Amino acid sequence: MEALRLYFKLIRISMQARLQYRADFIMGILNIIALNAINLGMIGILVYRFVNLNGWEIWELVFLYCLWLLGHSIFSLFFWHFWELEEYLVQGTFDQFLLRPASPFVQFLGREVQYIGFADVFVAATGLALAYVNLGLHWGIVAWLFFFLVAISGTVIETTLTLMMACISFWTGRSSMAVDLIMEFNVLVQHYPIDIFGSWFRVVVTGLIPVAFMNYYPALILLDKLDRNSVWWLGYLSPIVALLLVGMTAGVWHLALRRYSSSGG
Amino acid sequence: MIQVEHLKKDYQRVKRREGFLGGLRTLFSAEYETTRAVDDISFHINEGELVGYIGPNGAGKSTSIKMLCGILVPTSGNIKVNSLIPHKNRMENARQIGAVFGQKTQLWWDVPVIESLRLFRDIYKVPEAQFKRNLNLFNELLDLHEFQSTPVRQLSLGQRMRADMAAALLHNPRLLFLDEPMIGVDVVAKERLRTFIQQINRDQKVTILLTTHDMGDIEKVCSRIMIIDHGHIVYDGSLDQMRAKYGTQRTLVVEFEEAIPDFDAPHATRVKSEGRKKWFAFNRFETTPSTLITHISAQFPILDLAVEEPEIESIVRTIYQGKPETVETRAG
Amino acid sequence: MKIFWSFTRQAFQFVAAYRFNFFAEIFLILLRMYGVYWVWKILYTQRPGAFGVDLQQMITYGVLGMALEIFMWSRPQMYMARQVKSGAIDTDLMKPIDFHVHMLARSLGETLVALGVLAIPALAVAYFLLGVELPPDIWTGTLFGISLGLGYLVLFHLNFLLGSLAVVTLDIRHISWAYYSVVRFFGGQMIPLWLFPPFLAWLAAALPFQSTYYIPMSIYIGNLSGAEAIQAMGFQLVWLVVLVLLSRLLWSWAHRRLVVQGG
Repeated sequence: MEALRLYFKLIRISMQARLQYRADFIMGILNIIALNAINLGMIGILVYRFVNLNGWEIWELVFLYCLWLLGHSIFSLFFWHFWELEEYLVQGTFDQFLLRPASPFVQFLGREVQYIGFADVFVAATGLALAYVNLGLHWGIVAWLFFFLVAISGTVIETTLTLMMACISFWTGRSSMAVDLIMEFNVLVQHYPIDIFGSWFRVVVTGLIPVAFMNYYPALILLDKLDRNSVWWLGYLSPIVALLLVGMTAGVWHLALRRYSSSGG
Repeated sequence: MIQVEHLKKDYQRVKRREGFLGGLRTLFSAEYETTRAVDDISFHINEGELVGYIGPNGAGKSTSIKMLCGILVPTSGNIKVNSLIPHKNRMENARQIGAVFGQKTQLWWDVPVIESLRLFRDIYKVPEAQFKRNLNLFNELLDLHEFQSTPVRQLSLGQRMRADMAAALLHNPRLLFLDEPMIGVDVVAKERLRTFIQQINRDQKVTILLTTHDMGDIEKVCSRIMIIDHGHIVYDGSLDQMRAKYGTQRTLVVEFEEAIPDFDAPHATRVKSEGRKKWFAFNRFETTPSTLITHISAQFPILDLAVEEPEIESIVRTIYQGKPETVETRAG
Repeated sequence: MKIFWSFTRQAFQFVAAYRFNFFAEIFLILLRMYGVYWVWKILYTQRPGAFGVDLQQMITYGVLGMALEIFMWSRPQMYMARQVKSGAIDTDLMKPIDFHVHMLARSLGETLVALGVLAIPALAVAYFLLGVELPPDIWTGTLFGISLGLGYLVLFHLNFLLGSLAVVTLDIRHISWAYYSVVRFFGGQMIPLWLFPPFLAWLAAALPFQSTYYIPMSIYIGNLSGAEAIQAMGFQLVWLVVLVLLSRLLWSWAHRRLVVQGG
């Protein structure tokens, strides 16, 4: 498809651009590994003192964290620059998208690539592998397929949510705080199993900002913790949720473009 | 080529309130105010014209240009670029226009120029033969081959502008927007860019709309000039016409054989004296240089003389201020 | 002094101009408080003894930590990095005020605004909804206040050191990610240091970060009291002096480098 070809060409030039900064890359990788190490360390301390977290053992918690991280890492690899949308609007980069005979959306998608996302991929894969071994999991073909589907869904969920949040900049300047707020739900879901929280929180991360579908619900299925929750089967809906979000995002983007062309930013 | 009729554009902004308490109130309730950025402007630009588009900041220049590019939708009015309505046919329109922004490059910052050009070739679907032909042209006119393998961030400003020009013209657009392309560029490079602009306008009949604050650009390059202020077109015509209409004041500079006391001539005011020179300002419609010279030389022996025209800059400034009659001339 | 007030006013205007942001940020703090509240609540039901303090104190600690996150809001190191990159640092350096003091005034102004406009309202909500406690008596409250001030100054100087580094060579964008995590972790912002396993607790005791959150907040909830509290504050003071000296040293070196290299 036309758009796909353009996207790959844009990615290629973005990658070329990134390759210019090698030292930067290494620094970034090290720092991300450190960051994740500290996060996992915190969970580790809690388990050290309290044996488990609401019935979740340490390796289950690592699995939860890394499953989220896997989806997130692919997002951050390709779409981390969604956060820059505000800057693009202010600096006129977005106008340049509109000046060219190509979809502004595809141009925006392919604008940048962040190699540093590889660090997260590395941590996630390692953590998941270790958890798999330590929990004595044995997945069949179906479970593995489900796992990959979940990972992709996770990426899509975070990507679409971030994009919708970023689009707020079309209406008000400086959307970064709103993004932080949504991301905070994301952070909490990443670190903790949501069954420790009150019901309103669970409703929000299931129905409103469905980040729980990135790791929690699928983990219930993959780790065979079906007794934790009466709605354990929601995990199977992760791909559906992802698709729904894609539809919503398309709508939001469309509205955003309309807004931009009438108010000029 | 470009047809604009009764174009209007309104913006809505949140009203900012002053002071500590004002800030507090804004937190809880916001008021909006409507600004009319473009207020009923109309103009036609024919193919092959090289038009200078000037106006103070906030006059509506970039708003009108954005509408021509299809980036912004007008509030009301008609706008057609080569029979296309820009905001309705954005992509099609994009194929026939090119743009260079002085403030921001269109190229990818970290990769060699030629990589960006190749990508543009793909985006604009430029046939390979045409691509090569244009590259040769740019090599010849812009010395592109000297820096095409250099990443944009390592280019000097002059080089970057040349690269942006190449990028903008790669797909042979019919219409070229140049938005302050010479800002910060040194004199030599500026001259070069000006020549280039004239060349492609002449040789390839590219219609050019040049936005600039530099009157030198206007004088040297443009055949026609449009001035926009507070959303209105306050002048649209040739440079000579503008001088004739608004630059009514000319100056006769006379150098006498010896220093003489000051005096006035009929229809002329002595505005400055320095040594043996005197400057006489006069209105071009009230008297002529020859009349003045005849009068003056009859009284005192003249060594040398010159006639000075009003500066474009002061004409424009006066038009901005809305007082076309009082235009200064260069003094000294 | 006047400079300080102008920074404060600037910061306030900034918050006021972006009202959507302002509300979002308050909700963000509340959300974090909520998160901490539930984590401790659940863990308490699992093993009440492991805390070392009672649940209310624990929750207070956690919530306070989330409110004081606003200490991280003012980022002199990012300001310095930005100014150097854009070249605007020259204008700062030409001002007739010591750069170090300038940065402190700026940071203090911003932090005070953040405290007043964000932290205090959030804490008020937390007091009613989450059962956060007030300090047991005036004396503790006062000690807390002083300790908090010291903690803030320690954090400021840590940031300033990082900023000085940014001025010289390093692109601190990436280091920043790990840096914030380290500050929060070893500062005991969420998990108090007495819960750390032995090796980490030993490491944390040797580092300056505990001055920022752990010490003031422990004083507040009464876990550090009397002689212990005074001792801990002495620890803060020592680190503050060390950091101030280091800051001035590093900055003067960085400044010289800047001047010589031309930014």
